[in-house]
Amino acid sequence: MESLFDQSSLFLQQLVNGITLGGVYALIAVGYTMVYGVIQLINFAHGEIYMLGAFLAYTLVAVVGMPFFPAFVLTLLICAVLGVVLDFVAYRPLRKAPRLAALITAIGMSIFLQNMAMLVWGSQIKSYPRDILPPFFSESAITFGDVSLSWLQLFILAITLLSMIILHLTIHKTRIGMAMRAISQDKTASALMGIGVNRVISFTFAIGSAMGGMAGVLVGLYYNAIFPTMGYVAGIKAFAAAVLGGIGSVPGAMLGGGVLGIAEVMGAGYISSEYRDGISYAVMIAVILFKPSGLIGKQNAEKV
Amino acid sequence: MKRLGFFLCFWVLLQFVGLTCPSWADSIKIPVAAPFTGPLASFGEGMKNGALLKAEEINAKGGINGQKVEIILEDELCDPKEAATVATKLAADPDISIVVGHLCSSASLASLPIYKEAKLTAISPASTNISLGKSSPYYFRNVYKDDFQGLFLAKYAKNVKGYKKVAIFYEMNDYSMGLMNAFMKQAKKNGIRILGKEAYSAETTDFKPQLTKFKMMKPDAIFIPGYAPQGTLIISQARSLGIKNVDFLGADGLDDNLMLKNPDAEGLFVTTPFIPDKAGPKAAGFIKAYREKYGIDPNWFAANTYDAVGIAAAAIAAAGQDREKVREYLVSIDTKAKAYDGVAGKTYFDKNGDCLKEAFVKEIKNGKWVGAEKQLQ
Amino acid sequence: MSLSPKNPRVLFLAILFLAVILPWIPLGPSTNYLLRVLTSAVLYMILALGLNIVPGFTGLLDLGYVGFYGIGAYTSGLLAIHYDLSLWVILPLAAANGALWGVLLGAPTLRLTGDYFAIVTFGFSELVVLLIRNELWLTRGPMGLPGIPPPAIFGYALTQGWQYFYLALFLLLVVLVVVVRLENSRLGRAWFAIREDETAAQCCGISLIRYKVMAFAASAAIGAMGGAFYAKWFRFIHPDMFKFWESILILCLIVFGGMGSIAGTMLGALILIPLTEVLRTALPQSMFNARYLIYGLLLVLMMRLRPEGLIPFQLSRSRKAEQAKARLLGGEE
Repeated sequence: MESLFDQSSLFLQQLVNGITLGGVYALIAVGYTMVYGVIQLINFAHGEIYMLGAFLAYTLVAVVGMPFFPAFVLTLLICAVLGVVLDFVAYRPLRKAPRLAALITAIGMSIFLQNMAMLVWGSQIKSYPRDILPPFFSESAITFGDVSLSWLQLFILAITLLSMIILHLTIHKTRIGMAMRAISQDKTASALMGIGVNRVISFTFAIGSAMGGMAGVLVGLYYNAIFPTMGYVAGIKAFAAAVLGGIGSVPGAMLGGGVLGIAEVMGAGYISSEYRDGISYAVMIAVILFKPSGLIGKQNAEKV
Repeated sequence: MKRLGFFLCFWVLLQFVGLTCPSWADSIKIPVAAPFTGPLASFGEGMKNGALLKAEEINAKGGINGQKVEIILEDELCDPKEAATVATKLAADPDISIVVGHLCSSASLASLPIYKEAKLTAISPASTNISLGKSSPYYFRNVYKDDFQGLFLAKYAKNVKGYKKVAIFYEMNDYSMGLMNAFMKQAKKNGIRILGKEAYSAETTDFKPQLTKFKMMKPDAIFIPGYAPQGTLIISQARSLGIKNVDFLGADGLDDNLMLKNPDAEGLFVTTPFIPDKAGPKAAGFIKAYREKYGIDPNWFAANTYDAVGIAAAAIAAAGQDREKVREYLVSIDTKAKAYDGVAGKTYFDKNGDCLKEAFVKEIKNGKWVGAEKQLQ
Repeated sequence: MSLSPKNPRVLFLAILFLAVILPWIPLGPSTNYLLRVLTSAVLYMILALGLNIVPGFTGLLDLGYVGFYGIGAYTSGLLAIHYDLSLWVILPLAAANGALWGVLLGAPTLRLTGDYFAIVTFGFSELVVLLIRNELWLTRGPMGLPGIPPPAIFGYALTQGWQYFYLALFLLLVVLVVVVRLENSRLGRAWFAIREDETAAQCCGISLIRYKVMAFAASAAIGAMGGAFYAKWFRFIHPDMFKFWESILILCLIVFGGMGSIAGTMLGALILIPLTEVLRTALPQSMFNARYLIYGLLLVLMMRLRPEGLIPFQLSRSRKAEQAKARLLGGEE
């Protein structure tokens, strides 16, 4: 049968697949976790921002004819704005309303955006034009026996890592980061301290959405497929990753993303490819039931 | 509050009235039920084009017994619930005596009991699932079944291409799994070893875990009994994983121009009910007219729907707009001599409403679909 | 202006009368189509009444309702096909199965906070559907389950559109009686207390977890019953018929109609379900998918402009409760 070398190559390749997938989940998860951290809302529409990022880049490159990197940057900016608008239009008016109302609004926005995208772009799978990236991107950068890691995969991993580092530094070393942390602890006290709560929340949405949009573009490139319902599945999995790592924690999102990506790929590769999506759901349920604070998160006592 | 309540009740009533408005009937209505929006819309597009072209030609020759033919498009999104609603709507319309549709077998199965109850005949140009014909006396089709297609594919794989080891990458839906089972059965008889099979779902975009497994298996070919949107991704991702020296084999679900846009798909072989350059002389006029009207070559959906509408029109011309009589007419087309000679071959039905049709093989050469040089006889 | 106690009864009977004579009004050949749409609306009313118990009465967001719907449908379909049981045996069995799963799922999860609970219910329903899709030996998976025999009364098979409509109405009445009873019972009042303020309810001695699980089980049982009817009506079920979207749609119905209010829930279903069909005819082909857009927009707008829904919860409080309240306040009303 297969030699040990083959088996280990298979494992390593799957690991590479898993880490790349995990990186994508991490990018999206960060958006969820940051918003939850400041306003305790699961922003269901975040998956749709991810999807819109992919489509915006597509439109800019394929329809308007922009070269890739400017289109990429522009997409990030537009997604950031979209996030802020989303908050302003849908969530801010409901800041004082019961949680149920905000959750339902989030779901409604998600459905609305998804179907809007279907109307505008059609529901079929689209691909980025083949020549937007320099051709060497899809070739193998590192080949170790049967295991290959393409430049594109490296690019994704590098950007993910870089974004995480920048984000972490922002949250812990800048004033606005400190404001974000303050608001996540106690909104009222922060307001009393003179922090412009709404502005900081908008900023949070902007950053989270930009990263989500970035994930969308990267995924579109990596799999070469974008479609209006991509936000739904990816959103759920990314949320599972955020919960796994500890919701509210950015390093948690990254860790959770990595773990979930690897778990999913290994599960699909070694156990069953039919239940692949189920793995994310099962992980999410298990974490919520047994360790709701996640891998890194802190246990929050419920104040009466 | 009371006023609001009354207004709402009135509005509700208005909606009901709107739903029941009868429609004008001085044209003969032939509905085509298929997914015209949604992920499988490109298949529905072909069906629509074929149907409209045929209707145009019939009307140009004076219609059926003087009356014009009108094609009604009913979008069921390949969803069983929508299909059932569409079926009820069509069954309730007394001007409709035959339906051309559906495409997905889950949609067909959902509409079956409704058509049966209403004694309405449906003829499907595209549904290849095995159990449909025998499930209802009101279901006919002019496309081959998946057990035949699977058989044909396995034979072709062995006899013409010489594959000995094949891996299967299937989608978790009825079409894909039915086709896979038929292929596997015949492959065993033909001496092809099935190295393994992996599944994906319609929403999957990351096929790498499964493809990595296939890479280690080192098959001669990977059979993809799925649809083109996923097929094109699978092939690209396989190539980017470094899977070389492995052919790809597909069936009618991969027969879509979408595959042409993918340079990695060069060399893909698929089975299909219809190839423009191998079709008989009857098809030449059809292909020319189609090209003139739509600017592209017709695919098999278009060709089969063109024929299906033709069969429906012939039935109405002979038997009038009586549902029972229309069905009897179709039942009477039971031998080769009485077959309907269309652009996609001669159609005649067996006692289940199924038909025997030829399958062809086409491949992507230089970015275009061409009939494979060696066809299986 | 509030509805005086007598009015709801009369209005209700009037609507019931209209519904009963509906199949006999000569509306032409499209009657069957209309009846089908209305039967669908009635089925959704049943489902909405079931879901209403959890977010409506108890104030928890349940995103996994379609899981119970699916369990009920497959229970019904499989029992009908393999054991040829009558609908009247299947309905209670499906309801029991639903309640069982409600308890199994509810017991460990109902102690979570609202957001987490919502997500877990969602994950659960997705897993259920995935299981239905993959376990071919049980459910035939993507091949679907065709050939479910129609429901029968004393041996007479119901196959006509109007017969299904009456059957659905009958089931609706049963569910309605159950739900109204629940609303007025101690159980119902405990649920409302939980919805209004969990901590206060706890202080009053209401065991949160017990009541929440009962609410969840009741909701699941009704959902499963709806599913059982669904299977017998469509005579074919398929995993694609139980997507997450169904849960959202039913949530939409009760949000629009009035979360917690029984009349509101039913009105929501009555308006929104036929709306889909009306839009099918009204919208041009290319905008077909826009139908779902409207539901999303509806959710957002309702929460913003009229979160209590069309018929708000307060208005449908029972007569007894109003009287009790009046007595308590010493006639200050």
